[in-house]
Amino acid sequence: MGALFKKEIYIYLCTPFGYIFSGLFLLLCGIIFSFYNLSGTRADILGMLGALNMVSIVIFPVLTMKLLAEEKKSSTDQLLFTSPVTVTSIIIGKYLAALFVFLTTLAATGIFAVFIAIFGDTTPGAIIGSYFSFAMLGAAYIAICLFASSLTENQVTSAILGFGFLFGFMIIGFLSNSMPWPFMNKVLKAIAILSKYDEFTNGVLRLSPLVYYLSFTLIFLYLTIQVVDRRLKDKEA
Amino acid sequence: MIEVKGLTKNYGSNRGINNISFKVQKGEILGLLGSNGAGKTTIMNLLTGYKPPTSGEIYIDGINLLEKPMEAKKKIGYLPEIPPLYPELKVISYLRFVSDLKDVPVRIREERINKVMNLVNINDVKGRLIRNLSKGYKQRLGLAQALIANPDVLILDEPTVGLDPKQIHEIRSLIQNLSKEHTIILSSHILAEVSMVCDRVIILKNGEIVAIDTPQKLARELFNTEKFFVRIKGPSDKILSEIKDIEGVLSVEKQKNDPVSGFSCFIIENSKSVDVKTPLFFKMAFLGYAIHEIRPESASLEDVFMQLTAETNCNEEAV
Ligand SMILES: Nc1ncnc2c1ncn2[C@@H]1O[C@H](COP(=O)(O)OP(=O)(O)OP(=O)(O)O)[C@@H](O)[C@H]1O
Ligand SMILES: [Mg+2]
Repeated sequence: MGALFKKEIYIYLCTPFGYIFSGLFLLLCGIIFSFYNLSGTRADILGMLGALNMVSIVIFPVLTMKLLAEEKKSSTDQLLFTSPVTVTSIIIGKYLAALFVFLTTLAATGIFAVFIAIFGDTTPGAIIGSYFSFAMLGAAYIAICLFASSLTENQVTSAILGFGFLFGFMIIGFLSNSMPWPFMNKVLKAIAILSKYDEFTNGVLRLSPLVYYLSFTLIFLYLTIQVVDRRLKDKEA
Repeated sequence: MIEVKGLTKNYGSNRGINNISFKVQKGEILGLLGSNGAGKTTIMNLLTGYKPPTSGEIYIDGINLLEKPMEAKKKIGYLPEIPPLYPELKVISYLRFVSDLKDVPVRIREERINKVMNLVNINDVKGRLIRNLSKGYKQRLGLAQALIANPDVLILDEPTVGLDPKQIHEIRSLIQNLSKEHTIILSSHILAEVSMVCDRVIILKNGEIVAIDTPQKLARELFNTEKFFVRIKGPSDKILSEIKDIEGVLSVEKQKNDPVSGFSCFIIENSKSVDVKTPLFFKMAFLGYAIHEIRPESASLEDVFMQLTAETNCNEEAV
């Protein structure tokens, strides 16, 4: 796990994928900060995170597209899967590397948050809450996109799949609001990843969204491990 | 050190290998020889636990690979057909990564890396990006990776492919040196290479073993003997014992008989220096058993050798 984590971090530092992710992320924060907060003279962090959320469905797939797809294609998976390490620890190591890049980038936007906290009237508690919920959302997004990367040997397909999944979850959220039947409404809301996010950011820190995102992450990590494991255990492939 | 029983691998309806069994003793170098698609890579992918067999058993130093993969994999270093390298990494960071992956203790890690880099002679490129290495260096780095955790068993899929003649020579003597401490299985489709390096050779054709022996014995068997098929009208047991008595007959194999027609069929192996067909003819005529058919039987071993020697010649011309 540690070996994979280090290797992936190293590769993020040597390839454009991590930089594209972090670059777009920070660029967007800068733009929003200038226009929404400075020119718009609003002093909350929600504008920034809301906008980040909208581009998430594009930039998270970039972060994860290579992670599993590329190993298979360049047959470096032969090294990984003939070494004394479990599939689970390989997947978790890779997941944590992507999560680390995301969290460091998010932490770097903290500078804007500090400004907002100093000059605005938002309480630090609210800002930290918003950050925390966005971090949880991102953690779930990375798990979903990692799953997408496990389904293909092609990086581009992997990115498109990841985008498709995230987009799908977003659409479900919109649909759930316009659903006339209360039952369906509930079902869709339950799987619409963003509906919990709103709940999260609107109020104070609550346990249920936290559990929700954590389960989302774990379920997709589990699915990823299953996909890879099944493929390896296939006696006829 | 390595034991394989009844190993079979199908790729859907495609056959990879069929019912392969063999043993490798500690310190031995076993060669897998076969033309393209014979099943060399398939066997290696199964032995290293990269792919599960459709059926069969694998033991590495007595450990069942399929039941205790983690333990068995600790004992194996694998150089796959395509060296598993990350082009974005530098040689040294790649070797550090592999050491971590293979649980090489951090305290001896650097020492191990230096030793292996010296062994395969890649010290001069240790700071380079793998992407910029030449094919030969990539191959050697692949070998370094397999050696890093000092495994008991080394499995090398065509280790000399892509190297220049001087390097081929170096790698071959390296492999021979390594066999003092490691048990090695290597594959090749170059006959000369396998006979030079290996203690024993398995010759594969269409996923099956055609022969398994020392290179010397294989060559002797191949160049000094021939086989032919005969169909004779008469009782098979009687004829069998008569044939065995003929001078120069090395072995007789009874084929399936057709009880209705009364024919008996045999495959006879004899040394090339002795004519056995003439005494056979007169003996059968004397006994009143008519010979209906005699035709040369090419040993499948011979086919393979023909192919392989042809290939070797091509390769050498290319060099
Ligand atoms: N992943 C796969 N899917 C389907 N068939 C496969 C697969 N891998 C190998 N085969 C088939 O299994 C057989 C043995 O292939 P293998 O790669 O083991 O041969 P090889 O002896 O290594 O050949 P080469 O000298 O070309 O490397 C071939 O007929 C091949 O087509
Ligand atoms: Mg092969």
